[in-house]
Amino acid sequence: MNYPVWEPSILGGGLVIGIIAILHVFVSHFAVGGGLFLPLTERKAYRENNPALLEYVKSHSKFFVLVVLVFGAVSGVGIWWSIGLVNPEATATLIHVFVWGWAIEWVFFIVEIAAAFVYYYGWGRLDPKTHLRVGWIYFGAAWASLLVINGILTFMLTPGRWLETQTFASAYFNPSMLPSLVVRTAVCIALAGVYALITSAAVVDVALRSEVIAYAAKWLLLGTLIIPFAGIWYISTLPSMAREISMGGAPAVTIFAGLSIFFSALVMAFTYFGPHRRPRQFNLIFAFLLAILALSTTGVTEWVREAVRKPYIIYDYMYANSFRLADLGHIREQGVLKSARWVRQHEVDPHAPERAGEEVFRVQCASCHTVYGYNSIRFAVKGWSWAMIDYQLVHLDSLKGFMPAFVGTDAERQALGAWLASLNPVPASIRIEPEASNAKSQSSDATGEGASHP
Amino acid sequence: MNPVIPAPVPVPLPAPPWLLEFLLVFTFILHLLAMNFLLGGAIILSVSSYLGRRDSRHHELTRRVSRAMPPVTAFTITLGVAPLLFLQLVYGQLFYTSSDLMAWYWLAVVFLVMLGYYGIYWYQMQHDELGPRAAWVILVTAILFILVAFFFTQNMMTMLQPQDFYRRFVNGHTGTIFGSVTPLTIARLAHFVVGAVALAGLGIALLARRWGGESSELADWARRYGVTWFMGGTLVQFLVGLWFLFGLPVDIRQALVSEKPAVGLLFLGIFLALLALLTAPKSLLASSVAILGTLSVMAIWRHFVRLAYLRPYFDPHSLPVKGQWVVFSIFVVLLLAGIAIVGWMLHVFYRPPATRRAST
Repeated sequence: MNYPVWEPSILGGGLVIGIIAILHVFVSHFAVGGGLFLPLTERKAYRENNPALLEYVKSHSKFFVLVVLVFGAVSGVGIWWSIGLVNPEATATLIHVFVWGWAIEWVFFIVEIAAAFVYYYGWGRLDPKTHLRVGWIYFGAAWASLLVINGILTFMLTPGRWLETQTFASAYFNPSMLPSLVVRTAVCIALAGVYALITSAAVVDVALRSEVIAYAAKWLLLGTLIIPFAGIWYISTLPSMAREISMGGAPAVTIFAGLSIFFSALVMAFTYFGPHRRPRQFNLIFAFLLAILALSTTGVTEWVREAVRKPYIIYDYMYANSFRLADLGHIREQGVLKSARWVRQHEVDPHAPERAGEEVFRVQCASCHTVYGYNSIRFAVKGWSWAMIDYQLVHLDSLKGFMPAFVGTDAERQALGAWLASLNPVPASIRIEPEASNAKSQSSDATGEGASHP
Repeated sequence: MNPVIPAPVPVPLPAPPWLLEFLLVFTFILHLLAMNFLLGGAIILSVSSYLGRRDSRHHELTRRVSRAMPPVTAFTITLGVAPLLFLQLVYGQLFYTSSDLMAWYWLAVVFLVMLGYYGIYWYQMQHDELGPRAAWVILVTAILFILVAFFFTQNMMTMLQPQDFYRRFVNGHTGTIFGSVTPLTIARLAHFVVGAVALAGLGIALLARRWGGESSELADWARRYGVTWFMGGTLVQFLVGLWFLFGLPVDIRQALVSEKPAVGLLFLGIFLALLALLTAPKSLLASSVAILGTLSVMAIWRHFVRLAYLRPYFDPHSLPVKGQWVVFSIFVVLLLAGIAIVGWMLHVFYRPPATRRAST
């Protein structure tokens, strides 16, 4: 409303962020977990005087640098880019609250990158003790960057006392910060195993391959064992509505939450019966399939984490469509078209309300819905009469708890309804005109009597 | 008609604008150093890779310089994060709007950078295996980075013109409104690209100093080669700078000329650039210090230009402030600790092999 709304075609803003974010999460957690895997495995090789294992760590570090420093770093920037485009108001708010947090994270990034390069180019150049020390510096900086960003992410779902105090400390040390940190650290350990299984499955020497595969599987099992316990702790800190949404309140979210558990269990079972029990039979194809499964787990879990925050983008502070709760009274009074800065018309034309309706949609709904693509509004209202649509708009937040209430004047709501109704034209023989329907709906009760279904 | 500018967020700035603007400009200078070597380096490597098909000195130079490119790319990106963070904090109302108008192009920056980054790695890791194709790989990479610079320039120019925001919005489809490419935009882009080539030339000359022990003939030649790029680039940069200066709208130029600090900075920058040019053949160190001065002064001057553009519409000093001093102090302490740690790592990495294994 405060900014021009970018509608990324059939993708929708949410999906643009989602695609980049899920891929980033899958790599960035490896950036941390892999950072622990490298020095620990290097130390193991020294202690066991195992040069073959050391060679493996060297080759794994090359893979690590190529994946983490390029894709991990740039996709992280990509998330920032995309949230700024899709949700500038929320991004600006987060930056105002957390700029020094991000600045601290930036310091950790610099140390992390410098350490990664010194570690990678330092093979054979630095003595083992110094090389290991650089590896630990990398891991320390990488985990510290997780420590910072985790608090910012959890703030959005559980802003806690910040709503009253508005201080950095209460924003950062929010209710779900600590459990989420444990969950994410466990995910890092698990993903270190997933990626290590890929590089270990590519090792030529059979004995070394089996040894490293079994070793990498332990990382994956350890991570997946911690996640459920930490996950329960994390869920216990969430707002009750967020829990309800994932446990039946919104079918799609519930299905995805179920998939998250199912995929996690599959990863654990495949790892236990595959690389852990039978490392000799484990191969690169299996490793990639396991990675795809782990990516799917990451994808659905992150999707659920985002979805349970609905209808907010910053809980109890700002709705997903960037409307601040504190501004709602003013917008209701003035009208959304007059409050919005980036609309092409500020009034509803009673003779052609659809145009204003489309503007209202763009300002109020397009942050989650596309017209024809992802989470399509045309599909959502298919088969609904204008009266049915209007009834839904009036009771939007109570009928669908994960959606914000419609905010605006009656004329704007009706214009939105008219535009939504126009998306799925019905045969003229059974069409109910807005005026007639409106009159009828006003006289009917809350059961929606009078709605027509073509 | 009054320009349409989004309202500021109702959360106060966590520090006074002067501090945020200082950090914005300071971290931008750090970003510029790495970015110049990356962008200019990729352009020079394209030329040298082409010449290296027949000239072994060029081939050897590209092989050696390419080793520095992956870390430089990583630092260009990471050092760029901080200025963009402070820009969004202070000028977010303008920046987010201009970005949203050209959203598809702006988002493309991420993918162009990623492709370019992999291009850099491909070029470095497969340098000899690629053979004559290496020139194409680095050329395409350089073009990708120039495209990134172009999108950045366009966005940074658009955000300075809020008076045009609404007209552009009404006449286009949000996300695809790139805006017209004016000669001023081209001049500004050229100013960055030519400057980058000059700085990268100096960077190559500095790098070549380390090759002396292995091949003094190559090192001498590479130093002269780098200095030639630096001097040629700097001379062209004077002309491009004049083009940019006189391409600025008259009112902006007058506003800048009426400010003594801005005029003083401009002349100081030119003087330091001349000094760098004159000292380059004799002393790389003196030349580097002088050009670092020019770079810093020009980054400050660029900020003056931004303020001059925005003065009628936006004053960051009008925004409410509530300092978060405790967490700011933690940032400063961690920054110093981070610099010390990075310094230690570079020390152990670059110290001579004999001492490298002895201590710790």
